[in-house]
Amino acid sequence: MALIDVVNLSKAFGPKVVLSNVNLQVQEGESLVVLGGSGTGKTVLLRNIMGLLTPDSGHVAIEGKIIAQLTRKELFQVRQSIGMCFQMAALFDSMTVFENVAFGLRRHLEITEDEVQARVEECLSMVGMKGTDKLKPAELSGGMKRRVGFARAIALKPKILLFDEPTTGLDPVMTDVIGRVILDLKHELGVTTITITHDLKSAFEIADRIALLFRGECIACEPPAAFKANPHPVIQQFLRGDAEGPFLQDPPPPKRRHQEAQA
Amino acid sequence: MVLTFIDTTGAKVLAALDTAGDFATLAGRTFAAIFKRPFDGKNLLNQFQAVGVHSLPVVILTSVAVSMVFAVQLAFGFRQFQAEGLASQVEGLAIVRELGPVITGLMLSGRIGSAMAAELGTMQVTEQIDALECLATDPIHYLFVPRFLASLVVVPLLTVVSIYVGFWGGYMILVGVEGQSAYVYSHEFYKLLAFRDLRIALYKGLVFGMIIALVGCWKGYRTQGGAEGVGNAPTSSVVTSSLWILISDFFLTKLLLV
Repeated sequence: MALIDVVNLSKAFGPKVVLSNVNLQVQEGESLVVLGGSGTGKTVLLRNIMGLLTPDSGHVAIEGKIIAQLTRKELFQVRQSIGMCFQMAALFDSMTVFENVAFGLRRHLEITEDEVQARVEECLSMVGMKGTDKLKPAELSGGMKRRVGFARAIALKPKILLFDEPTTGLDPVMTDVIGRVILDLKHELGVTTITITHDLKSAFEIADRIALLFRGECIACEPPAAFKANPHPVIQQFLRGDAEGPFLQDPPPPKRRHQEAQA
Repeated sequence: MVLTFIDTTGAKVLAALDTAGDFATLAGRTFAAIFKRPFDGKNLLNQFQAVGVHSLPVVILTSVAVSMVFAVQLAFGFRQFQAEGLASQVEGLAIVRELGPVITGLMLSGRIGSAMAAELGTMQVTEQIDALECLATDPIHYLFVPRFLASLVVVPLLTVVSIYVGFWGGYMILVGVEGQSAYVYSHEFYKLLAFRDLRIALYKGLVFGMIIALVGCWKGYRTQGGAEGVGNAPTSSVVTSSLWILISDFFLTKLLLV
């Protein structure tokens, strides 16, 4: 049985269909990377897995438990086994870094303050953020915030880690740092991960399998080598990063090339 | 034409019912979450400080100002009938029964209700509320309950402060400026009042506290649309809670005074 099972998942907001009959299975310990253009429903997929959104049809099951059918108490129990890393980190800005990472520990575990301190330090050092515990989120850079977000997500020792565009808006060096942190977490913790990213370099490093969402549908889900070799024009265009092709419904006119041809 | 009118009206009625239902559901969830564990004492104390201690200056200043203006008006009005002695009696009646609770409620809806809406609204658009959910924490229990309990306790207490300050505001005008005897003012201020009036003022404070916290948290929790939404949430919170404070004041007065 797959640890995460997405079955015929569909979700629409008003007339806009965001996800349409998406099927994905993620095995325990596996690392799935989900690629796709902006607005193709990648974040909506993660929010359905976390139970933050309810599917219009189909379902998401974690360890065989269908998320949308759980009571609130059961849902919170399942969520304790999932760590979610948000796109912009979503750190609690009224709290320090320490309080952010300690939040889940203090609320869900009956452990002493010394044990909380030790676990927070352990999590912060795992993401290379040791010594920042007294800082407020406003004093951190974008990359530092993401890593503190990772530390908060792993504090409760989850089985599953979900990363929502962890490298968006970061410089190439910090993008590589984040990619390495995710890779280290995957190896050190042995967790199952789903990562949404636009960064192909880290995607191929992290992934056991890569899925591509296109217009709400999952058009491929295969190991990196097979994904790279897949002749599907959308996949090849995405890998090339080219504006011309079937990927965009309404691509911008190729002004420059047109002008060059005319000249 | 007629069908369009019916269609539009029907849609508006349904939208209003939807909004009312949403508020009632969240209010119900807040009441139910009060007794849930874990009890977060630190969070509650922070709210007592934010809602109570930090609101003292604004309540004191507005109560002094309103009671002084009211005393000036009363002194002027009763002088027309050579009945200056009645000014302190009416001052006491107005401050304890209406001005104390209502001015406190309105000022706090502007100070703490808007702050709650802005804070929760910012948390909503920056995904901090989703982060709470993902950390298996009920946002209603963690965010609504401490603010609700703090308002429930603090607004009646600040109403008492407002009444006390209002007494001295009237004293400054009627004794200090109009030349009434201090003993007569102190005696006459309470002449038309019974203990029941103070009790009614406290009930009003309790209800206003509920309205301020629930509306402020609700407006913040339902914020959508980034910076514009966060900007609209406090305004909407103040307008809605002020309106409900005035409406509930009428019904509470009618219900409790008879």
